[in-house]
Order: sequence, then structure tokens, then C-alpha cells
Amino acid sequence: MPGTFGKLRLAAATLALTALAFAAGPVVGPKETYTAAERRHWAFQPRSKPVVPTFQSESARAWVANPIDAFVLSRLQKEGLKPAPKASRRTLIRRVYFDLTGLPPTPAEVEQFVADPDPHAWEKLVDRLLASPEYGERAASHWFDTVRYAESDGFEYDTHRSDMWRYRDYVIRSFQTDKPYDVFVREQLAGDELAGKVATPQADELMIASGFHRLGPLRKNAGNQDIAYNRNEVLIEMTNVIGSAFLGMTIGCARCHDHKFDPIRQKDYYRMQAFFAPTQQVDVPLYTDKEEAEWKKKNGAIEAEMARLRKSLPHDDGPARQAIELQLIEKEKELPQPLPLLSTVANDPKQFMAVHVLTRGNSAAPLDKVAARVPGVLLPDGAPELDDDDPQPRTTLANWITDPSNPLPSRVMVNRIWQSHFGTGIVATPNDFGRMGARPSHPELLDWLANKFVDGRFRIKAMHRMILLSNTYQQSYIPASTVAAETDPENKYLWRFPRRRLEAEEIRDSILAVAGRLNLQKGGPSVIVPVEPELLRLAYKPSQWAVNPDEGQFARRSIYLYEKRNLRLPFLEVFDLPDRLLSCARRESSTHAPQALELMNGTLTRGMSLEFARRLDKEAGGSIEKQVDLAYRLATARPPLAAEKSAAVAFLKENPLSEFTLAMFLVNDFLYVN
Amino acid sequence: MDLHSKPTRNRREFITDAFNGFGSVALAAMFAKEGLAEERARAAAANPLAARKPHFPAKAKSVIVLFMAGGPSHLETFDPKPLLNKLDGQPMPESFGRVPRQFIKGEPRLMGTKRTFKQHGKSGLWVSDLLPHTATCVDDLAVIRSTKSDAVVHSAAQYQFFTGRIIPGFPSMGAWAMYGLGSESESLPGYVVIPDPFGTIEAGQPVYSNAFLPSVYQANIFRAGRKPVLNLDLPQGVSEAQRARTLKLVHELDAAGVKAGDEEFSARLNTYDLAFKMQTEAPAVFDISGEPKHVQDLYGMGDPVTDDFGRRCLLARRLVEKGVRFVVLVSGGPAVSQWDAHDDIEENHLRMAAKTDKPIAGLVKDLKQRGLLDSTLVVWGGEFGRTPEAQGGKGRDHNNTGYTVWMAGGGVKGGVTAGATDEIGLNAVEEPHHLRDIHTTVLHQLGLEQNALSYLHQGRKERLTEVQGDVIQSIL
Repeated sequence: MPGTFGKLRLAAATLALTALAFAAGPVVGPKETYTAAERRHWAFQPRSKPVVPTFQSESARAWVANPIDAFVLSRLQKEGLKPAPKASRRTLIRRVYFDLTGLPPTPAEVEQFVADPDPHAWEKLVDRLLASPEYGERAASHWFDTVRYAESDGFEYDTHRSDMWRYRDYVIRSFQTDKPYDVFVREQLAGDELAGKVATPQADELMIASGFHRLGPLRKNAGNQDIAYNRNEVLIEMTNVIGSAFLGMTIGCARCHDHKFDPIRQKDYYRMQAFFAPTQQVDVPLYTDKEEAEWKKKNGAIEAEMARLRKSLPHDDGPARQAIELQLIEKEKELPQPLPLLSTVANDPKQFMAVHVLTRGNSAAPLDKVAARVPGVLLPDGAPELDDDDPQPRTTLANWITDPSNPLPSRVMVNRIWQSHFGTGIVATPNDFGRMGARPSHPELLDWLANKFVDGRFRIKAMHRMILLSNTYQQSYIPASTVAAETDPENKYLWRFPRRRLEAEEIRDSILAVAGRLNLQKGGPSVIVPVEPELLRLAYKPSQWAVNPDEGQFARRSIYLYEKRNLRLPFLEVFDLPDRLLSCARRESSTHAPQALELMNGTLTRGMSLEFARRLDKEAGGSIEKQVDLAYRLATARPPLAAEKSAAVAFLKENPLSEFTLAMFLVNDFLYVN
Repeated sequence: MDLHSKPTRNRREFITDAFNGFGSVALAAMFAKEGLAEERARAAAANPLAARKPHFPAKAKSVIVLFMAGGPSHLETFDPKPLLNKLDGQPMPESFGRVPRQFIKGEPRLMGTKRTFKQHGKSGLWVSDLLPHTATCVDDLAVIRSTKSDAVVHSAAQYQFFTGRIIPGFPSMGAWAMYGLGSESESLPGYVVIPDPFGTIEAGQPVYSNAFLPSVYQANIFRAGRKPVLNLDLPQGVSEAQRARTLKLVHELDAAGVKAGDEEFSARLNTYDLAFKMQTEAPAVFDISGEPKHVQDLYGMGDPVTDDFGRRCLLARRLVEKGVRFVVLVSGGPAVSQWDAHDDIEENHLRMAAKTDKPIAGLVKDLKQRGLLDSTLVVWGGEFGRTPEAQGGKGRDHNNTGYTVWMAGGGVKGGVTAGATDEIGLNAVEEPHHLRDIHTTVLHQLGLEQNALSYLHQGRKERLTEVQGDVIQSIL
């Protein structure tokens, strides 16, 4: 492929992107150079080959289960800290269930594990959970934060994307089947380019994957269209997420001017945009001509009636107007569901719009034309751009990103995996490995893990497994010792397991699971659940919120609930579900009174506390002691402590069971993972 | 702690979070007598003041934003243009330049106003006969006639009005104020939005969002009707006494397992107490029926035209009186029920002004007579103004290059105007103020400096103003 890439000539000794090239073609002028200091930033350096620390003392050697422990222990010792004792099996099983599936273990699963005489019981448990279908759902939810997955456009119309669930299921499937990360990235960036022209199920899967480029918010407006402006907005959405999600580079900051802190020039930003110059949003029909004809007929008839009603609307706000408006709302509900589509992108050279550097990001003030190229600081000075007529520019980009010698993406991804278990990454700012981002707490460990990831062909489950089998992960959550409180109050060096509050979806799913009502059905179109009418008024077009007719669907896992940008489910929102408008690197975990109101008085906990009570009644019989015991085992994976039991029993003698079950949703041991 | 990475949540954050959403320390007395006083007292001692000190002495403690969704016309309200009336029906002279329009195509023709302008008050500020009640308050208003912004379509312009950005995903003014100052209310949310019951504005919920700021700074969007706060009522069939016993059980169950000094857990327990307190105390604040008749009349309550907005204005006053930091009050929902007068400026604006004029004047007067206006900054405006060119024959399109926003109270001078548009009201030409100057001024009156109030997000120190704004000195 002449003009795309051949061999990269190394200009700076610090760069190891040997397999890649933006080496052919004319040198870009004026030559942009980077200072040695700019190139020296840790994240741009090739991954080192760290030596795993070894230990003299018997106790240290006994604690080190794998190299992760060696790196962690070595750092702890340097700080004068000690790892916490190993957590109990009860604690561990609940912890790992939430980490890998987002759900609590059942009492039977807990007891079986606690009593398992097999010395490999932990390993077996980890493997079983990694193989469970719920693992894919849990892993996907974090990916969705990163790529801002949602099912509506946002902005004023907030039009629904009723077909976006295909991408959601693709991601779940990919994690579930342990798709190598490089393949996963390539499919999302360039699935349509890789799919070829023939429609096959495999090709469809690839096209669904590149629906990735359709995830951002999209503004539409009535009236005059500013084509350059609108196009620029679409390009911004497609470009910025590449930096945050895959590179840990805040390239979006260079849209209006050179990056203030990192060596990313404004030109670099527009060159990244240029990978998308021929990219157009396309919706591939998944229906027959006959189906379309039928749909049009039905839709047309209702639209005509609605048009007639609209014409008859009186101008004042009186009751006559309101009556007709109500009729319109009812009519709108009769409109047929949109025909199935596959939302993706495709290159269309005919619609190629050259990308220019824009003065202060203003599409009305274009400067030099640029072509596609990755950020210059990762290339030799003066590296050329890609040809505009490259037939597969995004494949080129994907190949560069996933090249084993690229220092950034493997570090970025292992850091995300690490964060999913310890709450904080080795780099605490997972989308920003730049100068304003955090420095790695364990730089050698980060490189060691990244090397392992690359050498192990980008298998994500293997990384989870290694982390989970470490003793670092199996520590208990203990109160801070004096030394720890002074040297490392934030537990950066992992002298204990970092307790965490459950995430929004985990809380909702657990409440349903504990009450015995969780519907574990997988995949398919997203479920629209009922919300208060007052909340619906906050939607631009309330009729779009077509509540699913099957009530059994309301108890599906949160990941299958409709993700509408401008109408967020209060329960999930209050527990810090990201708004999916920008990439979210790490969720907040806040504690405030509206959460308490939601738990105490909300409809979900009200309904489920009644269901939970019914379940206890049924499964634990009429004995108050047994009910308390079972409630604790379901909600906290352990039997109650003596003091808990006596308080609960005393309470239940005078108060309804459903108030006790509600209390179980409020206690800290339910809402937190130790 | 290191502001820029937010790597883990430390003790201070937990405690601050727990209390910021709904005010300062609230230790329900009911627990004291139950022997849990010690636990509560410990948490109280660890609790820093919910309300944080501003960067410099503040003029305003609270803000009420009166948002006229859809874009009220400056040409029909506060910005008289005799030349525009003279040129009525004529093509727009080239000399004024051309501005992109959402709908108007081809050769635009100017349209004069049917409204009559007069000078009012001691200050002699110009107000049209569209707003006879507001006209009686002019000596308290600072009218900024030279506001401008970047977007000519609703959603983008509304995001900019509230968040400083033309795209969703950034924190709203109210969330920034909460982040900077915390809340002074014991039992009420610190940041409240009271939307038009008719429906949402076009940009939807994200305009009010805390975005990437922690959800403790989120807006509490009031519901229409008697029970504005979600989940404030006990479920049917559960008594308050019952719920008090249940919460006591939660305390006992948690106390059984909690190691001494576990502040994170104590903080969560405290939120239950706060929620309980709120549930018992807040409804009295929301109940405006006890306000004397003359006060209700002042706001236009009882008159079907002004009743809704009047009630909401009165509620806003009651909220700031109780220490609520930031209130957003919206006039206008979707489509024809907002100030978006594309079809007929007269029909639309007469209707929208009739609903809001008296209540707004009532609010300003009531705040003043209670001595609250000094510490409450009131901001009136929409996402843009309207075009001097006609749309259709009777309507006006969106005009973001010059329009009016007014402020009152909170340390702002009354009876002054700032800036000016050109002779037909198309472009801000004298002392132009981008929306970010409005934002900078709002922050300034709250004692907050735009650059000091920042939050590191994805490699940037994000702030409300994005680009440096100026304090509008001429109105201070």
C-alpha cells in the first residue's frame, strides 16, 4: 500500500515505534519539531522491561503470589508499610462477584466456596466468574463510560437511537468471549473498512462495531444549515474520544490552540480529524422492501391524521387547545416503531471534505489544509501525512494504535483493568497520561503489566485473572495504622484493600437480586421503564418514552435500560452514573441526602422491600431469627453479628418485615464492598 | 489534596460530600435521647462547615436566575430603536452587516416594533409597555443591552447561557456556585431548578447538570405541584413514627459493625438523618398557602394568567430566604409556550409577558422590602434576543449578536444601563459583553474568582467561563 505506511525511520532514540510508519511521501512543512524535554514525558517512552523484585525474608516470599505482589510489596517496604492480612473467604467472594459480575453471590454460592477444601478454590471461583455471562455485562458498563455510550442524540431533539443496542451487545459479547483488545479496538475504529462489500453475519458484526463512531451527542437544527459548522461538530465528537479512550491523551484540548501542557499541536488535532475526512454516518437497513412499504403505509396514515389535528389547534392556551394536544400525544403513541437499522459509518470519497486547521476552532476561519497523521510527538520530526485518497484511513489509525510497540494504548488499557479492581488506577487519571494527569504510583508494575498484556496477545481476562490471584487483591480492608495514616492516607501504595461503594447499576441490580426479582435476560432492544409523569415533562418529546408493555422487563439489569441523554433515571443519576455526554474516566462516588431520599422513599426500594419481605417469609418461614439470618446472607453474604441479630429481632417484634428489609438496603454493609 | 488528580476520596471529601447537598450539620435530636448521641457528635465534630468561604468578600449570598426560554426580544422590551421603526418594511441596510440566521433566508426586511417605550423611575430607564410592572422596578435594575453569545440555535445557546459551552456535558452555573460555596440551608437542596410545568426547555436536563462535578452538586429539579422534591414523601401506609424507628434500626445495625472513627460510614448514616429532617421540615417551606393575601397578590397569585409563575417566584423567594444558594426559574417550555416568536412577535410576547411581568416585579419588590435584595442577585434573560429583521411578516428570528440581560440586587447598581446595540438592535457595538462576562459577574458577586473556581477534568482546568471573562464594572 504505497502512500500509507512502510517502515518508520527513527528520529529520536527515545521512540520505539519501529513497526510503523508515516515515512513515505513529502515531508510536512513548516517542519514541526519537538524538544527533547517534550519527548521525554514518561508516557511517551517505550515500555521498560522491569525486573521483578525479589525478597530475602521468608515472610515476604510467602506473601508474593505473583509479580504483581512483588512490585507492590517492594514499594510498600520502601514506604515502611505492610500489606494487610488476607481477607476472609466470605469477604472475598462478595468482592469478586461484584468486581466481575456486578452482582452479589447467592448464600449457597457463598457457603459452597467457604467450605470448599480445594486449595485452588479461589482460582476456580475466579475462572468460573470470568466465564459467566454476567462478566461481559459488567466489563461493558465501564467501557460505556469511556466511550460515552447512550441511545439518544442529546441536544434539543434528543432523538432516540433505537438501534444502538446492537453496539451495546457487541461490546458485551466482545468482553464475554475475551476478544483480544487489539482486535476489539480495530473493529470499533475500522470495522466498516474491514467488513468488505458482501453482507455476512461477520461483516454485520464489524459494521456494528464501527457504530463506535456514532456514539457521541449529535446536534440537529431546523432552518438554515451551516454545513461546515455541523460537519466540524461531528468530527470533534469522533476525534476527541480517540485520545481519551485509547491513547490517554487529551488531544481535544488542542482544538483551538496548541495544547497548554502537553506536546500536542493544534495541527496534530486536525490531522487526527483528517482520519475521518471521508467518514460518513450511515444507517444500513435491516428490513425488506415489503416491510418498508407496510411501515410507510401505516406511518403515513397516522401522520396524516396528526397533521389534520395540528391544523385545528387554536392559538390560545385554553382547554380546547389542551384537548387537541392530548389527542396528538395519543396518536403519536400509535406510530409504528422505527424499522430496524444498523447504525455505523462508511467512507465515501465522493463526500470527502478536506480538513483544515481552524482559527480558534472556528469552522468559518479555516487555515492550512492538513491530512491524516497521528500526534507528532510520537513520530520522528517532520513525519509525513497520509494520502487523502487512502482507501482505509481508519485501518491505518487502528493499526498504529494497536501496534505492540506503541507505548500508550496497552498502558492505558491495563490501567483501566486495574482501576476496575482497585477503584483507582496505577495512573489515577485513566484518560489523561499527560503532564496534567497523575504520575503512576507503580511505574514498573504498569510497564510489567502492559508488557504482559501485549505478549499475551491482548487478552483482557488473563489480566483480570492475574490481578485477582495476587495477594495484593486479596488483602482485607482494615482501619489505617498510625504509620499508614501518616505516610499514605489515600492508600496509593495499597497497604489495604480499598473499600468502595457499589456503583449505581450495582446498587439497583443488587436490590432486585436480593429481593429475588432480577431478570437476567440477555441482550436485545433496550427496555424503557416507567418514570414519574413529572420527570417525563423534562423530555423534549415525551411520546418517545414508549414504556415497554412487558412489566417483567422492568427488572432487567441496568445495562439493558434505555440510556437517554436528556432523561436520566433518578435512581442511577443520584448514585453518580456518568451523563455519557463526555468520556468519563473514573466515576465519582459521592454521599449525599438525595441518595438517602431515593433509598428511603423511592419506588424501587419501596417495591423491592415488599418483595424482599415476601421472599423471607417464603424461604425462612415464620421464624424471625431465620428471616434475619437469611436477609443478612442475601444482602451482605454473611450471617448477622450477634448485635445485629438482636437489634433486628427486637425491631421485628414490633415493626413490619418490609421496614426491616428496607433497612437492609440502607446499611453500609449492603452498599459497600469490603 | 492535589487538586488535579482526585485519585482517591479522602476523609474531608466524604464528610464534605455528605453535608453539602443539603446543608450543614443536622443532628436529629431524636437520636440524642436514644443513646446514639455520641456517634452523632463525633460525626459533627468531623464535619467541616458546609458553607465554604468565598475567594473574597461576597456581595450576594444567593442567585435567582429568571430564564426566559426561547429568547425574549430586546427590541420589544428594554432596547428602543427609533430608526428600526422608521425603516420598517425596508431591506436591511448593508452597512449593519449580515449575521447568520436560523430561519430567515434571502434578502431580509426590517420590522419596527408595535410597542411603545417610555422612561421610568428616577433613573429614567427605558422600558416598553410590554412590561408595565417591571417598569416600576427600574431603579433596582442594571440593564445590559449589549449581551452577545456564540450560538444561533436554541439548544446550543441554552447550554452556553447556563454552562458557558455550546455543547452539553459541562457544569451549570448553579453547580459551580455549589462547588465554590456549598450550601447554607439546613434542610433544603442548595441548588434548585423550578421548570415551567408546561414542559422542558429545548436543551433539556443537561443545562442544569453538575456534569463532571460530583453529584453532590447536582440540581434538584422541582416537580410541578404541591410536592416539588422527588421522594420527599413517605411511601403510602408508612408513618413518620414508623420511619423514625426504621432509621434507628439502620443506625443500630451499622453501629454493630462499624469500627470507631469510620467517617465514610458515619457520613452516609448522617445523610439518612438529613433526609429525614428534610422530609419533616421542607414541606413547610414549599407550602405558600400561608403567605398573606397582599403578598400573594403582589406576585399575581389567584389570577389565572400569572398564578403559575407567581407561585414559582414566591417559592423562589422562600427558598433564598431559607439559605438556598441558587435558584433557576424558567418561563417557557417547548414549542409555542416559550418566548420563541418566529410567527408573530406581538401575539407571542404579549402572552409570555403577561404571565411573567407582574410576578417578576413582585419578586423584586418583595425581596427588597424584606431586605433580601441586597444579598440576592436576580438575573433576567434568555438564550438570545430577536432579530430586527422580520421573519414571515410578523415574527422575529434569533439574534445572538446583541440582546438584553438585566440584573438586580446582590450588589449590582440599580437604574443603570450598560452597553448598547447599533441603531437597529442587530449587533452589540458599545461595551459588548459576551455571556462569559455575565457569568464572571455572577461569580464575582458571589465572591468567586473565575480562575480560582476550576475543576481538573481530562487534562484541563475547566471553569465556567472557559475563556477569560470580564466583570461588568459599569453596573457595580
